[in-house]
Amino acid sequence: MADERYNRKNPAVKRILQEVKEMQANPSDDFMSLPLEENIFEWQFAIRGPGDTEFEGGIYHGRIQLPADYPFKPPSFMLLTPNGRFEINTKICLSISNYHPEHWQPSWSVRTALVALIAFMPTSPNGALGSVDYPPEERRTLALKSREAPPKYGSPERQKVIEEIHHYILSKATVVPKPIPQECNQAPSTESETQSQAEPQEATTVVEEQSIATTDTTPDDQIIEEAAEAVNRSASVSPTARALATVEVAARASGSGEQTVVRRAAQKPADDRLFTLAAVGLTIAIVVLLLKKFIRSGGYGAGLMDES
Amino acid sequence: MQNQNDMVKDEAEVAASISALKGEEWGCCSVEDEPSFQEEESAKVPYVGDKEPLSSLSAEYQAGSPILLEKIKILDNQYIAIRRTRGDGNCFFRSFMFSYLEHILESQDRAEVDRIKLNVEKCRKTLQNLGYTDFTFEDFFALFLEQLDDILQGSDESISYEELVNRSRDQSVSDYIVMFFRFVTAGEIRTRAEFFEPFITGLSNATVDQFCKSSVEPMGEESDHIHITALSDALGVAIRVVYLDRSSCDNGSVTVNHHDFVPTGTNEKEEEASAPFITLLYRPGHYDILYPKSSCKVSDNAEK
Repeated sequence: MADERYNRKNPAVKRILQEVKEMQANPSDDFMSLPLEENIFEWQFAIRGPGDTEFEGGIYHGRIQLPADYPFKPPSFMLLTPNGRFEINTKICLSISNYHPEHWQPSWSVRTALVALIAFMPTSPNGALGSVDYPPEERRTLALKSREAPPKYGSPERQKVIEEIHHYILSKATVVPKPIPQECNQAPSTESETQSQAEPQEATTVVEEQSIATTDTTPDDQIIEEAAEAVNRSASVSPTARALATVEVAARASGSGEQTVVRRAAQKPADDRLFTLAAVGLTIAIVVLLLKKFIRSGGYGAGLMDES
Repeated sequence: MQNQNDMVKDEAEVAASISALKGEEWGCCSVEDEPSFQEEESAKVPYVGDKEPLSSLSAEYQAGSPILLEKIKILDNQYIAIRRTRGDGNCFFRSFMFSYLEHILESQDRAEVDRIKLNVEKCRKTLQNLGYTDFTFEDFFALFLEQLDDILQGSDESISYEELVNRSRDQSVSDYIVMFFRFVTAGEIRTRAEFFEPFITGLSNATVDQFCKSSVEPMGEESDHIHITALSDALGVAIRVVYLDRSSCDNGSVTVNHHDFVPTGTNEKEEEASAPFITLLYRPGHYDILYPKSSCKVSDNAEK
């Protein structure tokens, strides 16, 4: 293994070195990623929480492991900063654009995967393994907290890389999320954070307590949840209607935070497109499955549908 | 009316099952490092096997369908040997790889190497124009070009037939070349999307882009007529595929069908003059390499 590590003829090493070079040549404001000097298959990264979401301003650190046969097999990702969307210290499956991981393709890269990870942050986890679904307020608290200090993780050498990345992203992530209303004082929120990372159910109860105090945010949250549920239920509605409904949810979600208007205007179209795409994709899948089902049930399916 | 109600209910069920599915897709990392049973089974066969007499094929079907045995008998008249490839979903590309490189090694056809290199350069430009990042494909291209140079004799790096077989069985070479072909195929399909779209829609109900992402670029995804057509066109290499299946003619006589994939732009005279130098045997779900008897240039007894 140690020999392979420094063997530049090893195609995986060659490829990874190229990715490092490319990352350094085209730095991004939204993420940063560096391999450890001692092992090029081990990377650290941090991403900025996407704008106009409850993650805005957050700095989320994580670890990437590249397999020995990279780029044939996908890299694996693990988040280290509590964030309310992904479990920490757990490998998350980054299938990218909803393809099964076995559909990972060598034309993707660490960069592609990080961009996808950022895009996944505001999406609904749908109960997936490795995902958690904290309420927006809780996520905001975590986003704010994440700026204070990077996580402590691994060897001193790794810690140095983490600090370097944190410093860089902090210099790029100048938008500080609006502190949540004063009723939510520091003590309960940090407490809930530690609890919630261990047990999501408890987190919900803590947040409920909070929302009694901060009455102005509660109705918004309820609407979002209801709207989301409505979207889930109305699976039979036409694609456009569903897309619209989803977009509306997105609009409300970002509206409830009262964040800077200018930034929202700039980021909005990208968000909308993402949600629309997701909705349209889902609808197509439903239609395909439905068709299959009809055709299978007796072979008269297609004709019947037209008549009814 | 009742029908409609049922439909609504069904839709709700389907929607529920889809969201459950999506969830699974996200958390499916648990299986990683452990190879599946299928992988273990296919790993017993090398990526590219040894040349075997056709009798090894009939041995496989001893107790099988008489039509197949009949067809193998016909094949036995025209072909001298078979070379099996591993059934890991890459068998078409792997068969093409070995067959092509072996042909160059034996023929030392420098003109053909120069010609294909031009096509490879075109493919590189195609991918760049499609927005692929250079570093994601250049290793694969470089490795293929390196093999071409090594196969031509007369330089220090020239390799023997044994070395070609070894490399074809070495994952770090073999998989890279397979991936090179996958890139070339995807590039061709995407640039000629209008041409390939009807075939793709007919096959899988996916868009051209989805098809490339899910069925062309990922390793281990099986190949179809679409892949073969695209690869043959992109590299300008004709491919003959011989079909060994249970189909028989209406009048009861048994013939073995084949289809020649001739790259676009080949004029008819050229096409008639030379049978493709790559011949693959297709059995439903799998491709192997066939070796024609050199004396008879496989008389055209089947339709084009």
